[in-house]
Amino acid sequence: MNVIWNIASTTVGEAIRRRVLLVILLIGVLLLSIIPALGILSARSETSITIGTMYAVLRGTSALIAIVLTIYMLPNEIERRTIYTILSKPVQRWQFLVGKYLGAVLALLLMITMMTIFMVLLFWVFQHPTAEKMAEIATQPFMYWMEMSLLAAVGMFFSTFIAPLVNFFLTIGMWLVGTVLNPLYDTLSKNGNTQPLMKGIATIVTNILPNFANYDTKNPIINPGQVIVNGALYKWTTVGYTAMYVGILLLLSIVVFDRREV
Amino acid sequence: MLKDLKALYIGIVVLVCAQFGLQMGFIFPTWQKNYSVTAGGNISAQLSPDQILLQLFGFREFLAGILWVRADGFFDEGNYDAILPIIKLCTTLDPKQIDIYATGMWHIGYNFTDEQQRSDRRYIASALALGKQGSRENPETYELFFETGWMWYHKIQDDAWQPVKWFQEAHRRKDILQARKNLLSHAYMRNGQIPEAMQEYFKLFDEANISAKSATKDYSSIQIRDTLENNVDTELVRMVQRGWVAEQRHDGSFETGGYDAVPPFDTGFSCRVVVTAPRVIHFEGTWNVLPVGTRIRIVMRDMDYPGAKIAELDWDGSTIVNFEPGVDQTYMQDDLYVKNRRFNHDVDMSKDPTMYPCVSKNYLLEFYYSPRIAPPHIQDKFSWNGEGMKDKNFSNEEIRGPKEFVYDPFPMASDGDKKLAPITIKSPGQRVFYTTLTLTRDQLLKLGEWTNRTPTVSTSNYKQTETNSDTEEIIKVPTLRGK
Amino acid sequence: MAAAIETQKLTKTYRSRNLGKVNVVDELDLVVEEGEIFGFLGPNGAGKTTTIKMLLGIIAPTAGEGYVLGREIGDMDVHRVISYLPERPYYYEYMTGMELLKFYGSLFGIKDTAKFQALLEKVGLAGDASKTISQYSKGMQQRVGLAQSLLNDPKLLFLDEPTAGLDPIAHTEIRDLILQFRDEGRTVFVSSHELSEVERICDRVAIINKGVIEQHGRLDDLLRGGRIEIIADAVSKEFAESFKGEDIIVSHHNDRLILDMPETSDVNAVLDALRGKKANIVSIVPRRRRLEDLFVETVGRADIRGKAKAKAAVTEEAAK
Repeated sequence: MNVIWNIASTTVGEAIRRRVLLVILLIGVLLLSIIPALGILSARSETSITIGTMYAVLRGTSALIAIVLTIYMLPNEIERRTIYTILSKPVQRWQFLVGKYLGAVLALLLMITMMTIFMVLLFWVFQHPTAEKMAEIATQPFMYWMEMSLLAAVGMFFSTFIAPLVNFFLTIGMWLVGTVLNPLYDTLSKNGNTQPLMKGIATIVTNILPNFANYDTKNPIINPGQVIVNGALYKWTTVGYTAMYVGILLLLSIVVFDRREV
Repeated sequence: MLKDLKALYIGIVVLVCAQFGLQMGFIFPTWQKNYSVTAGGNISAQLSPDQILLQLFGFREFLAGILWVRADGFFDEGNYDAILPIIKLCTTLDPKQIDIYATGMWHIGYNFTDEQQRSDRRYIASALALGKQGSRENPETYELFFETGWMWYHKIQDDAWQPVKWFQEAHRRKDILQARKNLLSHAYMRNGQIPEAMQEYFKLFDEANISAKSATKDYSSIQIRDTLENNVDTELVRMVQRGWVAEQRHDGSFETGGYDAVPPFDTGFSCRVVVTAPRVIHFEGTWNVLPVGTRIRIVMRDMDYPGAKIAELDWDGSTIVNFEPGVDQTYMQDDLYVKNRRFNHDVDMSKDPTMYPCVSKNYLLEFYYSPRIAPPHIQDKFSWNGEGMKDKNFSNEEIRGPKEFVYDPFPMASDGDKKLAPITIKSPGQRVFYTTLTLTRDQLLKLGEWTNRTPTVSTSNYKQTETNSDTEEIIKVPTLRGK
Repeated sequence: MAAAIETQKLTKTYRSRNLGKVNVVDELDLVVEEGEIFGFLGPNGAGKTTTIKMLLGIIAPTAGEGYVLGREIGDMDVHRVISYLPERPYYYEYMTGMELLKFYGSLFGIKDTAKFQALLEKVGLAGDASKTISQYSKGMQQRVGLAQSLLNDPKLLFLDEPTAGLDPIAHTEIRDLILQFRDEGRTVFVSSHELSEVERICDRVAIINKGVIEQHGRLDDLLRGGRIEIIADAVSKEFAESFKGEDIIVSHHNDRLILDMPETSDVNAVLDALRGKKANIVSIVPRRRRLEDLFVETVGRADIRGKAKAKAAVTEEAAK
């Protein structure tokens, strides 16, 4: 476990010094800072537009960071041969992989936390919400962090056997598809005209592919007044789902990486 | 390198199955209930995949906001047709933006008119459908229930039980504004449910009293109390005038007595319809009621207009917001204003061929009057249910006979999984005035044999007199001092 | 003496789209004794790094067996007592020298800062411990690499091109360090193109070419077969011609004879014959065989063999 932790902390140190990630983070922060001005566009829905758009920027920026962070992680280590000095030590390949992933997740936590703090402060300056509202606003980024942890696992899995450029588009594609799984399934299941075969395929696809829509719990925050049933339990089960799916991806990554020529 | 990967494969399979079960069993159903875009309501079957995809980037609300501002721009320019697709898109993008539904309903229901400012009523079903959709998508707030009720009460005016239903639903929501609560009482009155109206007034008045006397009273709560007091007084006076003693019995009902409205007054309707030019119709006739304030509804529609009812359309028949309703269908509704017992009115549909396509071969002209929508000073004579009026030729007590309407309340999240009991609204019967005439297409458009002739139809009791025209006459109001 | 490294028919096959199956390492039989400095030589693409990676358990062999310090290759326990300095290594540039050693040390569970300091002193980086790797020169990076390879006090070190790109002074220092490792009882497996350095420090060498060991053994044995050059004046042409023989090169010009013959020749008899003819002996110079010569010869011979094989295969195909 120490080995994994040490590799993880080194990964965090490397990540926070990678210029491209810092540039993406900076762009995210800049976009967040102009959003309060855009909220004025809607006379009565200023708050909901402000929160909704801030979340969108936070999510988009985090996704880009997660993807860029993970698609180059293993290929860089192999290309620069840093992996040899590590694997020649008493470090199993799976420990290396898990350590790199854990480091990516921690780096994401750090970056998302920074953006969240900035977002909440900005919201406080322009909207003067109550402390309760600010705390409520800060809960959705936690879900985004879990979503990006899953996305990082997807990127890492593909990086065990695909080149970075192809991986970039593949991982983004998985994220986009995963984001519409729940809304699409929602539509199909409520539409009486859906063919049973179509519904069956949709059921399988929704539950086999990584489902990023599960983390979309922002609607009651944007449009308050809804009564939420089992909210806390939902969040915990989503944590469980994340752990399971990340587990699947890491195990698959280990299987592929274990036999990979480096 | 790992020697045995079997354990890993087993682990993968177990985790895949476990997350599958977790998603299907709990995560997705809970997400659907709590967090989907249309949580708490029913998603419109019109939602297409490309519109769903717009949610991807999380900019739905922002896009909806920008588009709605653009819609404002179109409104200022007078380009009303351009607003319709924006309404559709905005409500799809952000079903929670209440303003879009409310303003959209008003726009669709009120702003499409002809050159003489008559509403295109073919759109009203769509306006209501928008209100219904908005209520489904936003069941926790009173607003769209109220707006839908208002559309029934103010625009449609008939089907008096409908505003009762919608205002009742609005009242169930906790965020209803105090100042809007009394509309339910008005709706009860319109529906002939006088005891219910009075109960509601007294309830509001008691609440307003408490609010006005409390430590946090402010000017608005005092004003509301005063308004309600005035309303209660006025209604009690009217009840007396119209035959109710207005004494509340122990069981909460009200004492009734002999009607001031008895014996019923003979309205003596007669009418002649002349097609003076293609799509231009002249109405003239008698209505034996002084002095002013009577408006007789005139409807001209296709004989075979789908879903047509007596002097109205099936406003409630659609859940789909259709922005091109009845393209080949004609429906005109107007009012005949009576002065000095006569009316004399021109309906010119020639400038609005899109609104009045006149494709059908035959047309029905309907003349209708309901005491429920008469102004108070006329209701003082006719009462709420027409007890004080009759027409020896055209009275009708069947078409608006007593009815019971049952509806299922709109569930809120606080109702949980509890099945709500259906609610019954009793609508007492009323006496109305109703008669019809017919025209053919050739007559209406002065085609064929009517090219050089003047089509004229009239009620059987119409007598041409010299005093039928009244446009320049002074309104003669009888004085209480006698002659 | 026990073998530090032993392989039996160790093979690594890759599949290439153009070339099909290629044996990058082909049935390698190798033995490295404990306590020696072993040189592993070969041209570019010969399979040296692939062999090292297999021995380190970084990649899996396609066939054959390999043992490191008596344990099968890939055994994690062995990784605790071996170390590796790769060719052109890259370290995390943001780390200082000390942090780098701390990181690698943590992979062994070593936290002793004094040890890290001592190692840095050993490799001559004590004064640069707090500089980041990005500030290190090539030589300094190589030194810190050596330092990290000594963290776990290894019994066996794999050094891949340890002196590549270094200046002569650095060369000498690294060489001295390697010799010191042997004195400390460690086994050193060196892969290098610097043949002069290998000749100076290695006890035994193996030359690999296209995945196959072409030569292996003690240096002294491999480099046997030197020559002796004898120059004498006042020698007639006829007398000069009499020396011609197998593997004897005779040059004669202006009564000067230059004889180039294997060192195993009967030199005394030649000298006696020259003195008998009153020749004037100018010089007798023994020339030892160099490793470079052996390398070029071995690789060249292998190439010729390979070409002949290919040609025979083509001919056979044509005859069919």
